[in-house]
Amino acid sequence: MKMRLCLPLACVLLVTGLQADNEVYRTWTDAQGRKLEATFRGIENGNVFLQVRNGYVYRLALDKLSAADQQAAKTLKPEGLGIPSDPNLAQAAAQIDMLVEAGLKKAAQKPNPLASDEQFVRRVFLDLAGRIPTREEALEFINDTSLSKRAKVIDRLLESEGYRSHLFNYFADMLRMADVAQKARFYTYQDWLKGQISGNVPWNKIVQTMMTADGKLLENGATGYLLRDAGMRLDNLSLTLSTFIGANVSCAQCHDHPFADWTQRQFYEMAAFFGATETYGAKGNAGGGMQGVRKVIASLGDRRLQQQAKNLVRVNALAVEDSSTNDLKMPDDYKYPDARPGDLVAPKLITWSDDKTKKAYQGVQTTKHDEQLREQFAKWMTSPDNPRFAMTIANRMWKHIFGLAVKEPVTDLDDPAASVNPALLHHLANEMVRLKFDLKQFLRVLCNTQTYQREATSHELADNTPYLFPGPILRRMTAEQAWDSCATLVVGADVDKFKGHRGDTYAKAMNIDLSGGVSPDVLKGQIENAMASMRQFGGGKAEGKPKNRKKRMMNQTSEEDLTLAPPVRDGLVLARASELPQPEKDQHFLRMFGQSDRQIADSESEEGSIPQVLMLMNGEAQRVIGEKDSLVVKTASAQKTPEQQVESLYLSFFSRKPRADELATAVAGLGNGMTMRDLTWVLFNTREFIFVE
Amino acid sequence: MNLHNQLDPISRRAFCERWASAALGVTVLHSLGGRSFAAEATAAAAPTGPGFGKAKNVIFLQMVGGMTHIDTLDPKDGPTQGPKAPIKTKADFQLGGTMENLAKQADKFSIIRSMTSKTGVHAAGQYVIRTGYEQRGTIKHPNIGAWAQHFLGSSHKTLPSNVCVNRQPQNGNGFFPSSFSPLPILDPDVGLQYAKSEATPDQMVKRLAMLDQLDAGFRDRFKTSEVKSYTQFYDKTISIMSSTDLEAFHLDDEPEALKEKYGKNKFGQGCLLARRLVEKGIRYIEVAKGGWDMHNNIDDGLEEHGAELDVALSALLEDLKERGLLESTLVVLCSEFGRGPKINGNAGRDHHPKVFSTLLAGGGIKGGFIYGSSDKEGMAVADKQTSPQDFLSTIGWSLGLPVDEVVMSPSNRPFTVGDKGKPVMELFA
Repeated sequence: MKMRLCLPLACVLLVTGLQADNEVYRTWTDAQGRKLEATFRGIENGNVFLQVRNGYVYRLALDKLSAADQQAAKTLKPEGLGIPSDPNLAQAAAQIDMLVEAGLKKAAQKPNPLASDEQFVRRVFLDLAGRIPTREEALEFINDTSLSKRAKVIDRLLESEGYRSHLFNYFADMLRMADVAQKARFYTYQDWLKGQISGNVPWNKIVQTMMTADGKLLENGATGYLLRDAGMRLDNLSLTLSTFIGANVSCAQCHDHPFADWTQRQFYEMAAFFGATETYGAKGNAGGGMQGVRKVIASLGDRRLQQQAKNLVRVNALAVEDSSTNDLKMPDDYKYPDARPGDLVAPKLITWSDDKTKKAYQGVQTTKHDEQLREQFAKWMTSPDNPRFAMTIANRMWKHIFGLAVKEPVTDLDDPAASVNPALLHHLANEMVRLKFDLKQFLRVLCNTQTYQREATSHELADNTPYLFPGPILRRMTAEQAWDSCATLVVGADVDKFKGHRGDTYAKAMNIDLSGGVSPDVLKGQIENAMASMRQFGGGKAEGKPKNRKKRMMNQTSEEDLTLAPPVRDGLVLARASELPQPEKDQHFLRMFGQSDRQIADSESEEGSIPQVLMLMNGEAQRVIGEKDSLVVKTASAQKTPEQQVESLYLSFFSRKPRADELATAVAGLGNGMTMRDLTWVLFNTREFIFVE
Repeated sequence: MNLHNQLDPISRRAFCERWASAALGVTVLHSLGGRSFAAEATAAAAPTGPGFGKAKNVIFLQMVGGMTHIDTLDPKDGPTQGPKAPIKTKADFQLGGTMENLAKQADKFSIIRSMTSKTGVHAAGQYVIRTGYEQRGTIKHPNIGAWAQHFLGSSHKTLPSNVCVNRQPQNGNGFFPSSFSPLPILDPDVGLQYAKSEATPDQMVKRLAMLDQLDAGFRDRFKTSEVKSYTQFYDKTISIMSSTDLEAFHLDDEPEALKEKYGKNKFGQGCLLARRLVEKGIRYIEVAKGGWDMHNNIDDGLEEHGAELDVALSALLEDLKERGLLESTLVVLCSEFGRGPKINGNAGRDHHPKVFSTLLAGGGIKGGFIYGSSDKEGMAVADKQTSPQDFLSTIGWSLGLPVDEVVMSPSNRPFTVGDKGKPVMELFA
């Protein structure tokens, strides 16, 4: 299909050193005779864009160039695609491209051709906003003739509501965010994280806050990270190390790691940093008030009320507190000679053999105060000097955008040299530090690379062949991308408007003061009030009443205000996945399409199954998309000719116009008794729909 | 779309394959039914012994909530007794007073009265009795059906080898590919969800033809295993939808009298469905039944749930026997833990993992046999302590699985069927 340059020709075009092989350099001269060796990136609004060898892009007024070069600028074909929005960004992107291309060159591979506008717009919407573009959004981009349109759409999407949803979904899978854990609702935790993402709080700050959070879950959502595994600090630590610094320690929890450096003793020494952290039935919080609480509960009429009140108290007791002594002990079955079972463990940080500077360790491990252990750990872990922290999130964000990490799996960065392109991996880590852990800025750089803007790799990778990123890989949509795209087909871009915000409501309803200073009567009043509000949230189910209320509202109002309540069709609540129960119930589209059950970190699945395909063919989603009140059908039906109708559907589903043969087939189908409903079914069930090019 | 497409094993796990081939330089071998993950050691000499491989199918009945062993399989007298006095059976042991029908089938099964588990928490206990492993945040463990598919391959050309009735699949495939995941049947009366298209057959033919045409360009351009695997899932799904195999899920084809005999409730009908699926050659069927968390008024609970179990299980054993399927079908009954000897202030019993009972029948298991015992009150194990791991290894043994063989997960951690439990050999005839 694709024309590739044959090798001899490609060699002619190659410039020595770290240069992109499709770039051609010439010497440009301005009116004063100053010279600049640069490649021509295009001309727009009277400005010429010239990229020098280090990647920096100069913007020069056309009339400042020599007459000959003005002529050249008007006739030359621009190299690469588009103009990045600022010269430094262009340089950052170009540096990544050079490293990728150096890696490819070493393996005698060539990058993929640049992606078409149609491929690009669908991909960048899915990767940054988490859903396909609507027909109008796709057309707006395709019809835009400006050179900087790719950079502009990237900027726009990074500021969109969808960005928050999509990145939340990624982290929700990574952090196993579930509505229900420890028999309480973790809504405040979710809202907290969403707030951090939309505020673009730097990643090191986000993680540090989670590690050091204090207080009640109801009052401080950031405590959700430690409370998710309340009473299981070893499991929690194992996940912390693999998730945030790619230390593959899960084996060392029970025995010395068979391949890597980690010993069981090291694992326990790290765990000792959380040895003074209480997450199990906060003592101090309920403290003196517990007796009063027990009396009030006993005074409640029937057993069911008593049980509810007990639940309420348990939710209020979920808190993180520091005690004054680290009580972590070696396990009862410890079998190595360097310690005895049951020995108290002193905290000690792990080191990496490739870390020569040890900068991150400076100023750590000096405290005599056990209640500060967590802070020390967090400071060390999230330090820009920590040899793995920046690298881990950079590698994860790369995977988020390219479909595969530079070092897989993302939870094991013990040996960066084992990466497919170690130079690239180290560079990405440095970039993350240079950008001060600004994830939005980091993603902006990645999306502006030519590497990202190339066609997806279409061939099957041979076994044992490392993937060197000639372009992004072809990948199936995540469950959330697929669901949000379905909702977009039915509702349009407004699907981004509705936001759940369940944390505030829940905390307000449930929070009671158990500190002991309140009189029994006041306490009783508090408990009864909270129990009344609790009923509003339904028994054990995350959905329930609010949904029904919304449904009623929808039936009453013809004008749908999507900021208040999402539309409901055929039992499906058409809101972004990030605003639905976390995770959804098992038979929901999201779960059947592979949404993580939030029990295992990073466990979103992109695999098919028979029940899943049955759902795609016969479930609610295909029906709702094909109904007359679905936006995609309404828009297509408003077109005059069958040709225009088919084109409209193609733009909605695939962000492209149909090819001639496809148009002919679909139009013939419409003439042969097939309906719009049938066509939407067909397009929905194609591989092209669920895969991201 | 080629309905007659030779169906390859759809066992490729995209993730594992991708990173293995792309990043590690390691080839992870997959093949249908073969040992799809690299086994650590070369397979040991095939184990043999009484009962090994006698079961071709397993019906795994999971009582959810903690089934009281004292009122069902391990009756006591004195203050421990509970609402009903023990009753005599066809064998030389007694059963709880509610198990009237099961008492007449006592010659067909064995009971383990010395089970013990480490956890009194429902979800954790259910996970252990189903997989043999403790729940972790870093890996999921397979159920026996997935283990069996790994070692023995698929049990049916089109239908799945692993089905769960009245419950969600909950990652029963564990670290194996998701094609090993149990197919959920949430309501036996309804059968397979989304199996029916709203489109007429004529309409469906047109849709499928157009789907094939319009997607051909994409499929040609992207010949990756992920795209191919989806195409195979579509082919397989369409072939299921258009085949008569789906009848396996149609309970309406069973005589009304038989449906009545199993009990007209979700568990009874689930057991009937399990027998139908066994007849169709589906290897592993889990049927769940809730209602056992009897903290209050255990009398009422037993009257409803105890009776449902009694009716359904005895009908199932009798039915399998009559059809000549009991020898090749292992039926097991288990729960995450038992319930305590003491009747609490709410006339119920509380969680009791220290000792409880399970039942096994068919698949080479002795009839009318008791293994192990609890003490006088039903408080602790008195003799022949048996763990969930031993219990699961026994099931694996009966199915002919190499229970000692270490299998490495994609994350390179070692696992065995039943986590190194020992099959209870005395149970086999």
